[in-house]
Amino acid sequence: MKNNDNMNIPAETLNRYRNIAVVCLTAAVIAVLSFWCWFKEENTFSESERRVLKTLPELSWESIAEGDFMAEFESYTQDQFPLRDSFRSVKSAASFYAFGKRDNNGLYIAEGSVSKLDYPMNTAGVDHACDRLKYLYDEYISGSDAKVYLSIVPDKNYFLAEKNGYLSMDYDRFTDYVRERTDYMEYIDVADTLDTVSYYRTDSHWRQEVLAPTVERLAQGMGVDVLAEYTENTLDNPFYGVYSGQIALPLEPDEIKYLTSETLDGCVVTSYDTGEPVARDVYDMKKAYSRDPYEMFLGGADALMTIENPNAESERELVMFRDSFASSIAPLLVEGYAKITMIDIRYIRSEMVGNYVTFDDQDVLFIYSTMMLNSGSAFK
Amino acid sequence: MLFSSIPFLFYFLPIVFILYFAVPKKLKNLVLLVTSLVFYGWGEPVYLFLMLAAITLGYVLGLLIEKHRGTPLAKLYLTLSVAVSVGMLGYFKYADFFISNFNAVTGLSVGLLNIALPIGISFYTFQILSYTIDVYRGDVAAQRNPITLGAYIAMFPQLIAGPIVRYRDVEVQLRERTHSIEKAAYGARRFIIGLSKKLLIANVLGELCDAYGRSDDLSVLFSWLYAIAFALQVYFDFSGYSDMAIGLGSIFGLKFMENFNYPYISASITEFWRRWHISLGSWFRDYVYIPLGGNRVPKICWLRNIFVVWMLTGFWHGAAWNFVIWGLYFAVMLLIEKLWLLEHLKKSKILSHIYVLFFVIVSFVIFNASSMSDAFLCIRNMLGFGGIPFASAEGIYYLRSYAVVLVAGIVGATPLAVRATEKLRQSRGGAVFLTIAEPVVLAALLLVGTAYLVDGSFNPFLYFRF
Repeated sequence: MKNNDNMNIPAETLNRYRNIAVVCLTAAVIAVLSFWCWFKEENTFSESERRVLKTLPELSWESIAEGDFMAEFESYTQDQFPLRDSFRSVKSAASFYAFGKRDNNGLYIAEGSVSKLDYPMNTAGVDHACDRLKYLYDEYISGSDAKVYLSIVPDKNYFLAEKNGYLSMDYDRFTDYVRERTDYMEYIDVADTLDTVSYYRTDSHWRQEVLAPTVERLAQGMGVDVLAEYTENTLDNPFYGVYSGQIALPLEPDEIKYLTSETLDGCVVTSYDTGEPVARDVYDMKKAYSRDPYEMFLGGADALMTIENPNAESERELVMFRDSFASSIAPLLVEGYAKITMIDIRYIRSEMVGNYVTFDDQDVLFIYSTMMLNSGSAFK
Repeated sequence: MLFSSIPFLFYFLPIVFILYFAVPKKLKNLVLLVTSLVFYGWGEPVYLFLMLAAITLGYVLGLLIEKHRGTPLAKLYLTLSVAVSVGMLGYFKYADFFISNFNAVTGLSVGLLNIALPIGISFYTFQILSYTIDVYRGDVAAQRNPITLGAYIAMFPQLIAGPIVRYRDVEVQLRERTHSIEKAAYGARRFIIGLSKKLLIANVLGELCDAYGRSDDLSVLFSWLYAIAFALQVYFDFSGYSDMAIGLGSIFGLKFMENFNYPYISASITEFWRRWHISLGSWFRDYVYIPLGGNRVPKICWLRNIFVVWMLTGFWHGAAWNFVIWGLYFAVMLLIEKLWLLEHLKKSKILSHIYVLFFVIVSFVIFNASSMSDAFLCIRNMLGFGGIPFASAEGIYYLRSYAVVLVAGIVGATPLAVRATEKLRQSRGGAVFLTIAEPVVLAALLLVGTAYLVDGSFNPFLYFRF
């Protein structure tokens, strides 16, 4: 009987109920979020995006008149919005699942792995990167007895994008383009030593524990013996890679595994990032529990660092011009060298390199990921 | 300040609501005026003075025109009002266009002024013009309260992208208006739908259009995809803004005219322009076309009137030749229809719709082009004469990636959803269902829209540049 009464509510009354509900619910959403915005404590850092968040801009007559305050306030409200990560997840989910977008802000999931579109080939960026490499070669290496090698590390898209219907660079053309401009180096192709599982699912980097074939290929190319026995260790800290935060969807974390050996235990890592030598371990366990656990490999990508191997059987030295991919592979090359010097020209000007390194008869390996070369403007 | 921004939604708007509904009736227009000036000054602090000057001049000249109505002085004051408004537009919007064309023709190199366009100037100058002209014609009485007139001209809901509200349409409401739950609910509904149109469809399709602009992998498919996406983007962007403006107006007890009425379902270009940017079309009709004589003049003058009105309509949209050509393109289309085609279009409903969509989509390629050569290049690519493949990797990727949004846009550009809702409302069970579902869906849309804002970057409304 009661149900029947409900079903007989006049249309006008239903309209009134509906109008009241629309006004109340809309007002509630706006009011709750507004008050939350106004009185919420500021966050200074986004763990998920690994970036500093905007704080309230300085208010002055000048900043108002110039319009700077308003522009910065807009960014501030975006960065400081309550439940920011949850809202980003809602957007990402709506984008992928409701609107069927293939990627969200360039990120996509294929074969259970997150990747970021690196398309199209950025000729200007690659040219800049090649120019910087040529400068380094001409300025420091040409005329010395050093043997120079280049290896391009394909990013995850090489294995995932085209196969899964995403926009993909022509990697053959990309490699040929770089090789044509670096024909003074011997090229070591490592692409066929890698596949999808060589990379973390939630991060852009490769996994150290599966790099044996790649290490072998590089060693063969440089004519050095790096065979060693390693113990595989698993970090007891879940690894949410950089893409995990960017894609803003709930993902299973990765596991970081790292290889240790007697040789590695005896190695001395020295960073010159601050100008003064700072000793550190091959695996920085403090960083293993930081915002980016991948930085545990050599403590991250510093401008200049060395790995000295007191147990080396030869006096050979390796100089690596590198990006962050090299952090996890360099320890596996140390078996064949007495010293590895690692230089990251994203953090040190190429013109300064000569102040710290003298080139004579070392092996010199330029090892860069396609992503880094394609956005070569980062090279100083 | 953008409607589709966090500062507007969660800072400005709640404060305005609190102030507006807290003060007594006689202070409501003052609240609207002051908050509108803050709204405008937020984005354009320097041009706030320009707006205040325009309001003051409109107010004084309106009173003077009324005082001297029927005398030559009234005409003088009206001429002054028109000259100042058109002069403001000419200086701030068109000066560099004229200088660069003058330089091109004469070979001289007169320096450009490089003036930043005051946001909304095309809209509020037209509102001031309609006010002073209507006072001159005796259609309305001059407003004696400067706060009321200021609230009309500067009213933030429609200040920067329309609809172009005529003073005579809101004269009574400015003085005496009522507020109710029904109006507030209608306003909230329109506002959230407009916000969703902008954030979930227009901005997303804008990304597709940007991708086309950056692409080196063009194809016939990709060119069509771009052209359709832009036609939908501009509709959802602009009609979304109009929905938000009308919605906010309703919450404040004001009824603004509709600006769009499903233009893409039109069966002729003539009908399209009765459904697209209605407030601008009717403004030009009432203040330019009819004063020029309309169609009650010799044929040659009628042709002139049409070309003048459509050239001005194009030019109003921007200081560039592609806008002028866009306007003249419609002048030609409308003339062809009026003189010959309209009769034939009635014979086939399907063909007439295809005809309208094709020519409107092509028109928006011209509209959005950075130059006429870019427009021709894109149209050539669409027609398959560009020596490019039918499909390319990018074209296929973007088609797959944006298919759902495109379909949502196409369906949303028709009255299907509204008709379905109305049908549902007519059944008893449907009405009960809607009573529960509608508020929930609207709140969900508001939250999803907020999520897009939190994650998004700066996406100004397309019509802000006009």
